Amino acid sequence: MRIEKKVLLRVEGHAQLELEWEDGVIVDARVRALDSRGIEKVLEGRPLMDAMVITPRVCGICGHAHLMASVKAVENLLGWVEIPEKAKIVREITLSLERIQNHIKWFYLFLMPDFIRLGENLPDLEPYRGFTWKRAIYVSSEVAKAIALFSGQWPHSSYAVPGGITSYPDNYQVNLALQIIEKVKDFFLEKMVGMKRDEYEKIEKLGLWERLKGDIGIFIELTLEHGLDNKGKSYNRMLTSNYVIPFPSEKKILPIEYSKIQVHSNSLYSETNIVRYKGLPYETGPLARMCLSEDQIIRKLFRNYGSTFVSRVLARVLEIWKLLLEVEKHLNSLLSIIDEPSCVDLINKVNKLSGENIGVVEASRGTLIHKVKAEKGRIVEYRIITPSMWNIGPRCKKFLGVTEKAMLGIDNPIHAEMVLKSFDVCSVCTVR
Amino acid sequence: MKLVWVHGITCCGNTHSFLNYEYLDSLLKKIDILYHPSLSVEEGNVLDAILEEKIKLDVLIVEGAVSKEDEKVKKLCHLADFVVAVGNCACYGNIPALTKADVGGLQFRFKIKGGLLGEDFVSRGGYPVINLSGCPAHPDWIVGVLLSLYNGEKLELDQWNRPKTFYSSLTHWGCTRNEYFEWKVEMEKLGSKKGCLFYYFGCRGPMTYSSCNRILWNAVSSKTRAGTPCFGCTEFDFPRIGLFETKLFAGLPVELPIGVSKRGYIMLAGIAKTFAPERLKLED
Repeated sequence: MRIEKKVLLRVEGHAQLELEWEDGVIVDARVRALDSRGIEKVLEGRPLMDAMVITPRVCGICGHAHLMASVKAVENLLGWVEIPEKAKIVREITLSLERIQNHIKWFYLFLMPDFIRLGENLPDLEPYRGFTWKRAIYVSSEVAKAIALFSGQWPHSSYAVPGGITSYPDNYQVNLALQIIEKVKDFFLEKMVGMKRDEYEKIEKLGLWERLKGDIGIFIELTLEHGLDNKGKSYNRMLTSNYVIPFPSEKKILPIEYSKIQVHSNSLYSETNIVRYKGLPYETGPLARMCLSEDQIIRKLFRNYGSTFVSRVLARVLEIWKLLLEVEKHLNSLLSIIDEPSCVDLINKVNKLSGENIGVVEASRGTLIHKVKAEKGRIVEYRIITPSMWNIGPRCKKFLGVTEKAMLGIDNPIHAEMVLKSFDVCSVCTVR
Repeated sequence: MKLVWVHGITCCGNTHSFLNYEYLDSLLKKIDILYHPSLSVEEGNVLDAILEEKIKLDVLIVEGAVSKEDEKVKKLCHLADFVVAVGNCACYGNIPALTKADVGGLQFRFKIKGGLLGEDFVSRGGYPVINLSGCPAHPDWIVGVLLSLYNGEKLELDQWNRPKTFYSSLTHWGCTRNEYFEWKVEMEKLGSKKGCLFYYFGCRGPMTYSSCNRILWNAVSSKTRAGTPCFGCTEFDFPRIGLFETKLFAGLPVELPIGVSKRGYIMLAGIAKTFAPERLKLED
């Protein structure tokens, strides 16, 4: 038996993978998230509104999702709040845009370069030099610009507040954002899937994922060539902010019951809490979301492969297209209500608020839950359950963590890292 | 110019901010990134080679707060010609230092000089740690300093060792709400197009040094342009408590814009309010 420890590159934050090898195969694995920054503790005793500034700082790539979760938690604590439709739509837009830039960066910067380590010659995707590598960063920065049109800046904005948003976008911002979306759509079609829109939509409708071209086509080809497609099988139990798929072998979908989520902090080796739903480990993220949609490619992949490397990766990158269309639709609908107010004034109520509630959003990596307890407008306790806690969190007495389970049986250390990355690890989000 | 970027305790926000730089392609022609934990294919023993002085390191960028035991970062700092702390965590400790006594910035811990490297640290190139404060730092500040170092320009630093090019003017400069500030027309509720955020919503624009409103974020906007107050995230005391509040005493902000006297503020505010043009007060 041999134990190998490795700090991972090209993930968000610092995570260490510890692998136990026997006869050339992984027999046990532990993921350790390394640095804790004490965000929950920093919030204690502060006014509730401070959460809108501090929780985005949990994560440099999904700060917006944390902001929205904080806002929703406080709005839920207020009880029934009528938010202007405009604010609701703008929030959806920026949140989806954040997911889009995340997925593009994740695919090109974090995942694909691992094929270079496997000996593949991919000059376009080579960090610092590759044409496509640089283009992907540029396109992501354009998406960030579209977010900033509404939020003032990205990363680390605090433009969403209980009651609405602080900005007051007009036709100028909306039309400029639509121009950016057009550009990103072109990038997706030309570079990522390598085909015209009607061809892509036909493939999407028929679920013919093997026919995708472009960089995703390269991914598929290399994945099959290296036998990675069915690696990284996990529990097949999926969770989103609305529904769960509880049985690995059945297609049954049930509504989620938040009271059935348990969090334990007794892991012996990780700074991460253990999170379970009805006592069981669940996976969250784009694959879970796409399984619940009508997406034929993902449904087919899930049916044939279950939750494995190839289905997780394709669910994440193909979500980009769906999000782009959704953002486009929202932007167009915004034009007709552009004169609505941005915000209702709730600050005085927030500053007196007592009670306990949660805020839930779908972030890039899956379901994100913020739990807040307040006393007269001050935060008494703040707890964050991040998607990565579900996906890369540690084992409990009965079950391995989702990633730990996915590692078993892999016979190549680079494959192991790639499987871990297929969950889009975010250790900065994960530590308590 | 050979550059290495390392992470302390960080959210990686400065990395993502840096990736928003518009002319990354042009920059990469001048600067050779030997290692960045979020971008490089492999470390390939680059750090070891630098530590063994087999590779000469021109610039070390540190992102994130550092623990006092971080010997590796300390050694790298002593081997680099220039050390740049990117973001408030690497400069002052920021959020991670709030709950941990042994965590701080490279050469400061909040306003106390010292940090990981000590007050007297000077890198091989003759500068203390060049601080690019901000949560996060703006990509143009990061690249601006790199280009100056590349060109061999002299950097003038302020008392917090920040380049004056980016940190000698207030965030207030270029704020589109300046006219409201001048005439003391205050924003009454968030989400308003009109009014200044200083009096009710804790805006730190007139007390914070940054060029956010001069060069804009993502080339299009800024916090105050999006109706959000400035939280003073380029200063050592970020994040203050009560970020959306202005502390008032007898109707007067406890903290006044830098250099403004109480008497001056009261007199000017009175006159400004009396004569404020109607067009500023009307909500459209």
